[in-house]
Amino acid sequence: MLRARDRIGTWIGWAFFADLASALALTFGYMFSRSVTMQYPDKEKWLPYSRYRGHHFLKRDDEGEIKCVACELCARICPCDCIEVVPYEDEKGNRHPIKFEIDTARCLFCGLCEDACPADAIALGQQYEFSSFSSRDLVIGRDDLLAKPGKAPTGGGVVAARLNTKKDVLVETNEPQGYNWWRNIRRT
Amino acid sequence: MELIVALGLIVFKVALLIAMLLLLPLPLTWVERKIAGHMQQRMGPMRVGWHGLLQPVADGIKLLTKEDHIPAEADRFLFKLAPILALAPPFVVFVAIPFGESISVLGNEISLYVSDMNVALLFVFSVIGLEVYGVIFGGWAANSKYAVLGSLRTCAQMISYEIPMGFAVIGVVMLAQSMSLLDIVRAQADVWNIVYQPIGFLVFFIAGLAEAQRIPFDLAEAEGDLGAGFHTEYSGIRFAFFMVSEYVIMLLVSVLAVILFFGGWNGVLIPLPPLLWFALKVALFIYLFMWFRFTFPRYRYDQLMSIGWKVLLPLSMANIILTGIAFI
Ligand code: SF4
Ligand code: SF4
Repeated sequence: MLRARDRIGTWIGWAFFADLASALALTFGYMFSRSVTMQYPDKEKWLPYSRYRGHHFLKRDDEGEIKCVACELCARICPCDCIEVVPYEDEKGNRHPIKFEIDTARCLFCGLCEDACPADAIALGQQYEFSSFSSRDLVIGRDDLLAKPGKAPTGGGVVAARLNTKKDVLVETNEPQGYNWWRNIRRT
Repeated sequence: MELIVALGLIVFKVALLIAMLLLLPLPLTWVERKIAGHMQQRMGPMRVGWHGLLQPVADGIKLLTKEDHIPAEADRFLFKLAPILALAPPFVVFVAIPFGESISVLGNEISLYVSDMNVALLFVFSVIGLEVYGVIFGGWAANSKYAVLGSLRTCAQMISYEIPMGFAVIGVVMLAQSMSLLDIVRAQADVWNIVYQPIGFLVFFIAGLAEAQRIPFDLAEAEGDLGAGFHTEYSGIRFAFFMVSEYVIMLLVSVLAVILFFGGWNGVLIPLPPLLWFALKVALFIYLFMWFRFTFPRYRYDQLMSIGWKVLLPLSMANIILTGIAFI
């Protein structure tokens, strides 16, 4: 009896397109919900979390000396064989790299070099915009690596940004902390 | 002298009509992409112009400058003919479509239609039927299996949908006692036909969706399974022809639905200019088309056939009989 009534109800629903109408209502509701688009180069930009593995950077110690002791462990562990380290000895007898090159075109950003380093000298930062027209430009030398920005303590948010095409193509931001973009995603 | 003025007026109206129909797809594509975007929580085009308003212009320039490619084994004559065959009938149909009674310009009454045929409805259906030749030729001439499959589906689809569509409007003709679209609208001055003909409207609207080849009945160009169906091999300006024709047909079906079932330019409650009422109703239907497109999945081929022959055709027949009984 109950099943028969259920079936009649389903048939009446079909006759009046109840299923189609509910689908239409759903899309109509979405039409007026907030869009989750990140307007990346023009208006907004995503700041990755601090655990993000982006462009490498080399650290300095408290005296401003490069931390790396040129042990070449990172070059050894690197699965892509993309680090090249040439050591030298300075006047105080400390070992440092005279040449430290990372071929970021080949790097797979696994972060093993960061894990292997005994001197805590290399790490992967949050920078992710370094595309280039030539793969040769992607071989980064020691001084450039030292100048790269380190890890920011915060991250994981969208910040206001703007596209600057004057000199290079650059997406500029000046806010350190963004809003939580995931909040906008509607889950039903 | 009067003849020259009358002729000049007709030429002017036709030119205006063609310009309007050629330019209308530009904002329509923008609107469609915006609606698609917002329904999927995106923003749609944003980068060219304010909120992407100039995007259609950019797309148009891109289409015009693209290589006009003809496949090596194609039937070159038919391949070139097909886009024109697809584009011309929807434009011709608009000659018979009235947009309102008349407006006065500088003290002269100017009618808002090119011609008031007494068989306008018949004219519309027979001319719009020609559009299918463009699709069939296009698919056949391209010598590609996807295109042939697309045009094959179009043939079957057109046959099974033009018939219920034609039957569905017979109820309207019975009510107005005329086939002239002008008379049909005048007959709805008090009560719109949708009140007397809900089934007729339903059948007409579903068949119209199939006629305009919009989702859920866009089997001819089902991009999921056929690439792009009959215009898979078309590029550049020839592709744009198909594109424009598709939008014009969508507009045509909306206009027909408004004229036949929703009282044309007769307003209710709020006194607005008749032309504005007409435009608003048509816009609502166009929105409905787009809303459907981004809500429903595509019907399967055999489902489409059985809907056409087993549901819509009996329904439209029943509608005619019911209308007849109501008359007696
Ligand atoms: S992140 Fe991985 S691939 Fe890249 S340099 Fe370090 S170890 Fe090599
Ligand atoms: S970065 Fe670390 S692991 Fe690599 S050579 Fe320098 S000290 Fe050794």
